[in-house]
Amino acid sequence: MSQQALLEVRGLVTAFDTEGGRVRAVDRVDFSLERGRTLGIVGESGCGKSVTALSIMRLLPQPMGQILAGTIHFEGTDLVSADQSTLHRIRGGRIGMIFQEPMTALNPVHRIGRQIAESLILHKGIERRAALERAVDMLERVGIPAPEVRLSEYPHQLSGGMRQRVMIAIALACDPALLIADEPTTALDVTVQAQILELIAKLRSETGMGVMLITHDLGVIAEQCDDVVVMYAGRVAEQASVAELFARPRHPYTRGLLDSIPHLETPRKSRLPTIAGMVPTLKDLPDGCRFNNRCPHADDRCRREQPPLSRAGDGHLVACHHWQRIAGEVRT
Amino acid sequence: MSTPLLELRDLATHFPVRGGVLLRATGTNRAVDGVSLTVQRGETLGLVGESGCGKSTLGKTVVRLLEPTSGSILFEGQDIAGLSRRRLKPLRRELQMVFQDPAESLNSRHTVGNLIEEPLSIHGVGTAAERAARVRELLDLVGLPASAAEKFPFEFSGGQRQRISIARAIALGPKLLVCDEPVSALDVSIQSQILNLFLDLQAELGLAYLFIAHDLAVVRHVSDSIAVMYLGRIMEYADADGLMARPRHPYTQALITAIPVPDPTRRSTRTILSGDVPSPIDPPSGCPFHTRCPHAEARCRNERPLLRETARKGSTPHMVACHFDF
Repeated sequence: MSQQALLEVRGLVTAFDTEGGRVRAVDRVDFSLERGRTLGIVGESGCGKSVTALSIMRLLPQPMGQILAGTIHFEGTDLVSADQSTLHRIRGGRIGMIFQEPMTALNPVHRIGRQIAESLILHKGIERRAALERAVDMLERVGIPAPEVRLSEYPHQLSGGMRQRVMIAIALACDPALLIADEPTTALDVTVQAQILELIAKLRSETGMGVMLITHDLGVIAEQCDDVVVMYAGRVAEQASVAELFARPRHPYTRGLLDSIPHLETPRKSRLPTIAGMVPTLKDLPDGCRFNNRCPHADDRCRREQPPLSRAGDGHLVACHHWQRIAGEVRT
Repeated sequence: MSTPLLELRDLATHFPVRGGVLLRATGTNRAVDGVSLTVQRGETLGLVGESGCGKSTLGKTVVRLLEPTSGSILFEGQDIAGLSRRRLKPLRRELQMVFQDPAESLNSRHTVGNLIEEPLSIHGVGTAAERAARVRELLDLVGLPASAAEKFPFEFSGGQRQRISIARAIALGPKLLVCDEPVSALDVSIQSQILNLFLDLQAELGLAYLFIAHDLAVVRHVSDSIAVMYLGRIMEYADADGLMARPRHPYTQALITAIPVPDPTRRSTRTILSGDVPSPIDPPSGCPFHTRCPHAEARCRNERPLLRETARKGSTPHMVACHFDF
């Protein structure tokens, strides 16, 4: 399996130097992504999901952010040790990226057409006129009406949903093998989110690219992804196919998250199950299992020893000392 | 039937849109455009809609942070829409607001104790010692330790800061709390803690909420009835379960199917609306939703549908602003 993986992250450690010392935002993270599949990375603020994406793209803020250990294999290249010219070739070429807020990712003083054409000229070496023609095709593919007109417009003239479509057009212009989407619909309204998610799914099945979708929304994971990695405080808590994770969540954190979301079947105005306490900051992470200070099952061992990722089923990995014991317990 | 706690009658809040070098008024933003709603004592009215639908403007108008253009705001039967600031002050005790981002709504230079005491001092409630006791009581009520009073807002997490905002909002014992997206800035594992707090406070203090949010699943959980807003108008209104189980307006139907459900065995077949929400500055003629409605006909482009009763559950009517029955 690992021979065919499009992206394989092993033992990734990413740290930031802050005034209070060095903090590990991502701490020994492993996962892989196959071609043609969508991998969801889910977690709350500070869990390291965005830092993982920035590490893969080697776009960590400099000089504070550094990859201390691990490998990121993408199409046979280790991105951790790759030189700048290799990275320039891969970023925007083989790996496309979209972010939460398209207005900050788009250049406000350049026309839409130029911003799409730019990456084609750079990566594909085609001339300007042909690149602009390709840009029209791309805008059409991402569902922007009157693409010839839009080509000469500026980002501020577009709505939030249209801007995100333009970002997708830029990201996919060079036919990347991997699309990294970091909270691509968080800033959008639900009806527009539905449009954008459908578009990403359609383009994935057309191109066969792999998609890494980072989100805090378990609903988006359930509807959009094939596989999922649940992150907590810089580590992988649990990893499985989407069907498996939602049917048999094993980590107490995953179980707590799923239980705390109000569903349409939850009796109205009933108290919701909660996860006690709050998400720890990277400066005061507990020893052992990082979830131990919020976990109802934690004991001395959890406070001492970091649980390794262990197999809990076919392709199902969980980082909990007690997953077998609590698996039989009825969820609230 | 007794007087409702809050009754909005044909409420409108318009803003002038200025343009050109002289900043003359060139148009009107009809943010809230003829809304009639009621909130009963001790109950929750949920208000949902997408960005730009006017839900926040409506909330701010109800607590008179914004001036209504026309219509009335009846609070316990008294119209507060045109009251002067001086006449409004005693009513501020009854009517409070909680905002989305506690980092912005709490003054970072004051201690938490001062922040919670401030409304009590402004309204001349009790002696200094009584106020200090009330602050401790309020902290306890929202689930914070008494030691929090000595600290500053930045020393707290987002969820705790929202607890501080809530303590401040309920300090004067209001009857109605307008909550504008109170949990949408919080992490998923913290949202349920704050939702539980809202439910507990309602049960203990008999508070009524106007609960404004874009997340229908959250709104359904805390609300007794729900109103769906689009371009400044109410599209549908019903009891919370009725609205979710049997949405009758095409917009509500699309909104519900657009929510990603955290259950992969039920990947929904959804109605995906085309386009974006039009601008409230130049809203579409007729039904404001006709430009995105999959069922729109000629009539929808010309004639504005009125809210009409299509069903009833107990004392709550199911109202829909659509020419047709879906």
